[in-house]
Amino acid sequence: MSAILILLFLLTAASGTAVVLIRDPARQIFALAGNGVVLTILFTALQAPDVALSELAVGGAAVPLLFLVALMAVRTGRRDEEHEG
Amino acid sequence: MSPRLRLAVLGVALLALVPGAAATIAHLPDFGATIAAYGERINAIAPGERHVANMVSAINFDLRGLDTLGEEFMLLAAITGTVVLLRGRRGETLTDRAMRLPGRAILPRSEAVQLTCRLAGPLLMMFGLYVVLHATVTPGGGFQGGVILASGTLLAYLGEGYGGWRDMVRSHWLDAMEGGGAVLFTVCGLAPMLTGAAFMQNVLPLGTFRDVFSGGLMLVENAGVALAVCGGFTQLFLEFLEETREADGPEEPGEDSA
Repeated sequence: MSAILILLFLLTAASGTAVVLIRDPARQIFALAGNGVVLTILFTALQAPDVALSELAVGGAAVPLLFLVALMAVRTGRRDEEHEG
Repeated sequence: MSPRLRLAVLGVALLALVPGAAATIAHLPDFGATIAAYGERINAIAPGERHVANMVSAINFDLRGLDTLGEEFMLLAAITGTVVLLRGRRGETLTDRAMRLPGRAILPRSEAVQLTCRLAGPLLMMFGLYVVLHATVTPGGGFQGGVILASGTLLAYLGEGYGGWRDMVRSHWLDAMEGGGAVLFTVCGLAPMLTGAAFMQNVLPLGTFRDVFSGGLMLVENAGVALAVCGGFTQLFLEFLEETREADGPEEPGEDSA
């Protein structure tokens, strides 16, 4: 196992743990996206470009965006009169 | 179930499963070992037999195309279930106008966000189309490309706001894309049978190796998957947003909303 793989495994573990430990939903979404990007790099390093592309599109972009927008919509619903967010 | 009973059930389950799991894990190939015989066989056969350079597409759409057909309908069922769940008492009445909750603030987009989204959105869509079209040549394919296309429409939402996004995306079109993609894939399975071939047999001309239009029937199936995935993901997103706009009273169509 080369050094870059060991580094990537450690990064995967660290970013995955970070998703669990971060409690603020808005930050958690970005941690989730970060985890997706780390997994994408790991899959690329393991020579699985198809899986990497799926992970990048779904784990790195689509799912975090979906969560982010849902969260944003819920929050703007809660503070009705404020023009911020 | 009391905690002690749960622990007992867990213990019994572990006793039953751990030996089997341990035996399987012990017999797995070592990490980084040479690829399995099946993979080597595919690499040797697929370029000659199917004229495609991307083996993953060859497996997904041809050699194990039936599995992908199943996954296609899993996706359809999952999206249908989510949409039914989210629509709830809004029922089947749909509108192409953006719903607006009375009293909700309209979030203005900054010019920087608008510019970035207007520049990046079309580029992302073009990259998505590229990934879809080159399914049989380079890594990627209908699923990955479809998700990238759906992300492209999300950028339009980020830049233009919900009202502008709904002007661009029509709910019925998304339904048609989602269902039509699944139908297209099924037809790809059934149509060869009309000519006397087997289910999903690749009867179309296979084209040239390493050419965009190689793979014959795979290209049509790939287009079906791309349609279904792009339509499905966007539909999911639309229903999530409509759900947060459900008013207590009768809904009133408005111009723009967050």
